[in-house]
Amino acid sequence: MSAGADPLDDPRWEWVRAAARTPAPTPPGLVERVLRSVRGVRGTLLTEPLELEQDGGRLRVGERAVVVLARRRGAELAGEIGGVHVAAVALEPGGLDVLVTVRYGTPADEVAEALRRGLRDALVAEFGPVAPAVNVHITDVYGG
Amino acid sequence: MTDTADTAGAAGTGPAGTADATLVARAARGEAAAFDGLVRRHTPRMYRVALRITGTAAEAEDVVQEAWLSAWRGLADFRGESAVSTWLYRVVTNAALGHVRKRRPTVSLDAALLAGTGESGPLPGLGVLADPHANPEGQVVRAEQVDAVLRAIAELDVSQRVPLVLRELEELSYEEVAEVLEVSVPALRSRLHRARVALLAKLKERS
Repeated sequence: MSAGADPLDDPRWEWVRAAARTPAPTPPGLVERVLRSVRGVRGTLLTEPLELEQDGGRLRVGERAVVVLARRRGAELAGEIGGVHVAAVALEPGGLDVLVTVRYGTPADEVAEALRRGLRDALVAEFGPVAPAVNVHITDVYGG
Repeated sequence: MTDTADTAGAAGTGPAGTADATLVARAARGEAAAFDGLVRRHTPRMYRVALRITGTAAEAEDVVQEAWLSAWRGLADFRGESAVSTWLYRVVTNAALGHVRKRRPTVSLDAALLAGTGESGPLPGLGVLADPHANPEGQVVRAEQVDAVLRAIAELDVSQRVPLVLRELEELSYEEVAEVLEVSVPALRSRLHRARVALLAKLKERS
């Protein structure tokens, strides 16, 4: 390309146009995972606030606070553990559900358990005895 | 660019834009189902933008999730001065930029291992060849060219990468890209020209 020539006139620009025409398929389940995260932060009203009687009052922890903290800490932990990715977090009546994907070849049970334990510890450190149980669900495998 | 309902430039106009505006208004009044409708409608497009800016599927997923949480929080502040789609492009672009800038200046273990073996693999989103009418050999060549483009774009500085993605891959109009990036159209044109020159130089290195 000579100086000042328009890159759009270069034959290679057809490659860029081809890239524009190439679909980027949405990962299966992404929309549902997003909806789950949004509902978690929005609050589904499906779960009562976590409550604990304390000296001089009552501690109440709302669904949103739990989900936001769990989502943030979960992402940090996943980065530290490696081979696991937190896809969604939602507080359900049975505890905190954490949906993860694991990298192909990673010992899924080990990383899931490390994440579950780390997240539970973080929640206990933050909220004390009212911290919910943590359930990790492996939803997909990536890479490989 | 075929996997969303409304991907043309000026996406905020016409029946699709009206439907979006209605959904946003209902969501702002607290109708959860309306916001869910927006999520279903726009997530494919937002994922595509996030993927093109970050270059990795896992990061793009995170970006999309954060973008929607951000959109939900910002719903009350959305005044309708821009099209809903433009607003969402801005939200996802900002989320992607935040992710890219937060990256640690180190090579991930995955990347290091792949580099060590000489395996880089195709970038995500290349499962479908660009030209289904071409012969098999032509399809492979075209897929390699598309891969080269996406890799070259991923190597550009984000200040060039983002306008290229929005203009050349998403095919937004100059006015829409300028609105998303909150810059003037002349400033955008200038930045885009530099970005195109840089991209072409990288493509020449590869060919």
